[in-house]
Amino acid sequence: MMTLAQSGFPEVMSQVTLAHYLFVSGAMFTIGLVGFLTRRNLIIMFLCTELMFQAAGIALVAFGRFHLDFTGQTFVIFVLTVAAAEAAMALALVVLLFRRRESLDAEAWREMRG
Amino acid sequence: MLSITTTPAWGEFTFDAGQALLPGMVGYAKVMIAAVGLLLLMLMAGTVDRTDEERIAAGRASFDPLRSNRAEFYAFFLFSLTGLMLVAGADTLLWMFLALELTSLPTYIMVAISTQRNRSREAAVKYFFLGALGAAVFLYGFTLIYGGCGTARLNEIHDHIALHGINTLTMAGIMLSLLGLGFKIAAVPMHFYTPDVYEGAAPQVSAFLAFVPKTAGFMAILLLAATIGWTYDPGAVKGVIRASEHGTQLPEAVRVLLWVMAAMTMTVGNILAVLQSSVKRILAYSSIAHSGYMLVGVIAGPGDGSFTGSGVGAVLFYLMAYGVMNVGAFAVLAALERGRRDDGDAIEIETVDDLRGLWSSHPRMALVMLVCNLSLLGMPPLLGFFGKLPLFTSAIGAGEVPLVIVLGVNSAIAAYYYLRLAFVPMLENADRGAGAPRAAPFRSREIAGLLSAAGVIALAVFGASIMKRVEAAAKVSPTIAEIQATATP
Repeated sequence: MMTLAQSGFPEVMSQVTLAHYLFVSGAMFTIGLVGFLTRRNLIIMFLCTELMFQAAGIALVAFGRFHLDFTGQTFVIFVLTVAAAEAAMALALVVLLFRRRESLDAEAWREMRG
Repeated sequence: MLSITTTPAWGEFTFDAGQALLPGMVGYAKVMIAAVGLLLLMLMAGTVDRTDEERIAAGRASFDPLRSNRAEFYAFFLFSLTGLMLVAGADTLLWMFLALELTSLPTYIMVAISTQRNRSREAAVKYFFLGALGAAVFLYGFTLIYGGCGTARLNEIHDHIALHGINTLTMAGIMLSLLGLGFKIAAVPMHFYTPDVYEGAAPQVSAFLAFVPKTAGFMAILLLAATIGWTYDPGAVKGVIRASEHGTQLPEAVRVLLWVMAAMTMTVGNILAVLQSSVKRILAYSSIAHSGYMLVGVIAGPGDGSFTGSGVGAVLFYLMAYGVMNVGAFAVLAALERGRRDDGDAIEIETVDDLRGLWSSHPRMALVMLVCNLSLLGMPPLLGFFGKLPLFTSAIGAGEVPLVIVLGVNSAIAAYYYLRLAFVPMLENADRGAGAPRAAPFRSREIAGLLSAAGVIALAVFGASIMKRVEAAAKVSPTIAEIQATATP
C-alpha cells in the first residue's frame, strides 16, 4: 500500500515526512492563535479561527496517511463541514453588527463592562 | 460509526469490556438533560415574542427577520439539547467533536435573537468568536490524540494508552483538549466571555447557557479522563507515562493542569461575583465558580465507586443539581419585568436593588429566589448540599486535601453574594414608585421557577434513588490495570 500510494509522486515529494506536515500544521495553528489574540478586525479574527481549523485538517490527513487508516480523512470531511457552518454564522453575525455600528472593529462593541 | 445507540433510560447496564468507557452515563445523562430541558423549555416561552408578529400584522411595526423566527428559536433549542445528549454517548473523537459543535452552534444564534438590544448582538459575537477559538483548540487536541494513538475510537485509545503508555503527542493532545473544553465549562483561562454573554442574553437564554454547554463540556472531560484512566502513580512526569496497578490519580501533568484550573476557576469566579451589582453578572460569575467545584470531582476520579467516594458520580449529580437550581434563579429574572420598551422588549431586572420588596409584591418569586440561592450556596437540607458533599468527600478520599481547603474557602466566599440574592428580596423594602417589578405575561416561566424550587427540596428529600442511579452512572469500565493484567502473559 505504501509503494502504491507513493509511486506516482515526484522524487522530491517522497522526502516529505510526517514531521514536515506537522510543522506546517503547527505553524498555521500558532499563526491563527496569535492573529486571533492580536487583531481586532472581526473578519480577520474569524479567518484566524478558520486557519486553526484547517491546521487541524492538515495534521489529520498527515496522521491518517502515517497510520495508514482513513479515520483522519473522514474526520477532515466533517471538520470542513463544521467550518463551513461556522463561516455562514460568522458572516451573518458580522453583517448584523456592521449594520448597527458601521464598523468591523471589535473595540467598537464595548457596551458591557464590569 | 455514528449510529445513535438507544439506551434504556433507567435500565440495568451490562457491557462488554472495552465497549463504552462510562457505560452508565448515557442513560442517566439523557434523563437528566430531558428533565432540565423541559424546565428550560417552559422558561423559554415568549422569548421570541409573538406579540411582535401581531404588531407587524397590524401595521404597527415593520417586518424584521430577526424578530419573526419563533420556530427557528425553538428548533435551535432542541438541536442543542440533541447535541448534548449525543456528547454523553460519544464513543469516538469525531463523534464527540460533532456533538459538541451541534451543542454550541445553535446557542450563538439563540443569544443573538433573544432580545432586540445591541447588547445581545455584542454578546453573541463575543460568544461566537471565543467559542470558535475554543472549538479550534480542542479540535487540534483531538487531532494530536488521534496522531499519537492511531485511532479515534475512545476505547481503542484507552487500550493503546494502557498497553503503550501516554506518548508526548497524546499528552499534548489531552492538554489542548482540556483547555479547549475549558471554554465550554467557562473555566479559567477561557472564562472571559461568561459575564458579558449572560448579561447580554435574555435571562432565560442565560439559564440555558449555564446548563447546556457546561454539561456538554463536563461530559466530554469525563469521557477524556476515563480514556486516560485514574490509575497512575503520583509524580511520574518524564518519559512515557504508564499506568500502574496501585495508582489512584490522573497522570501528574493532567492532574496539575486540572488542579490549577479548578482552584483558579473557583477563586476568580467567586471573588469577581462579590464585586458585582447586576444579578445576571453575579449568577454568571457564580456559574464560573461552580465549574471550578465540579473540576474537583474530575480530579478525584471514581474512587471506591460509592456515592460519597466517587468524584465522577459527584460531577454527574452536581450537573443535575446545578441545572435545577440555576433554572430557578434565572426563572425569577425571566418571570419578572420592569416594563416594556417601545419595541416590545421587556425591561429586565438589572441590579440586586431591583429585587427589593419582592416578598410583598411577588411572594412566590421571592421564595423561589430564597430556596434556589440557598441551594446554590449549599445549605444543608437542600439539593445543593447533597451536590457539594460528595465533591468534598471524594476529593478527601483521593488525597486532594489542599484542593478541598480551597473549595471550602470558596464556598464561604460564595455565601456573601448568595445570601444577598436570597435575602434582599425578603427583607428590604422597595423604593416607592419607579420601576417596581411586575409579572411577565408568560405564566409558564413562573411555573418553571416554582417547579425548580420544588425540585430543589423534593430531590433533596427523595434523593436516595437518584444517588443509586448516579452510582451506577459513574461506573468506569474497565480499569487500565485490568487490561494490563490480561495483556501481559
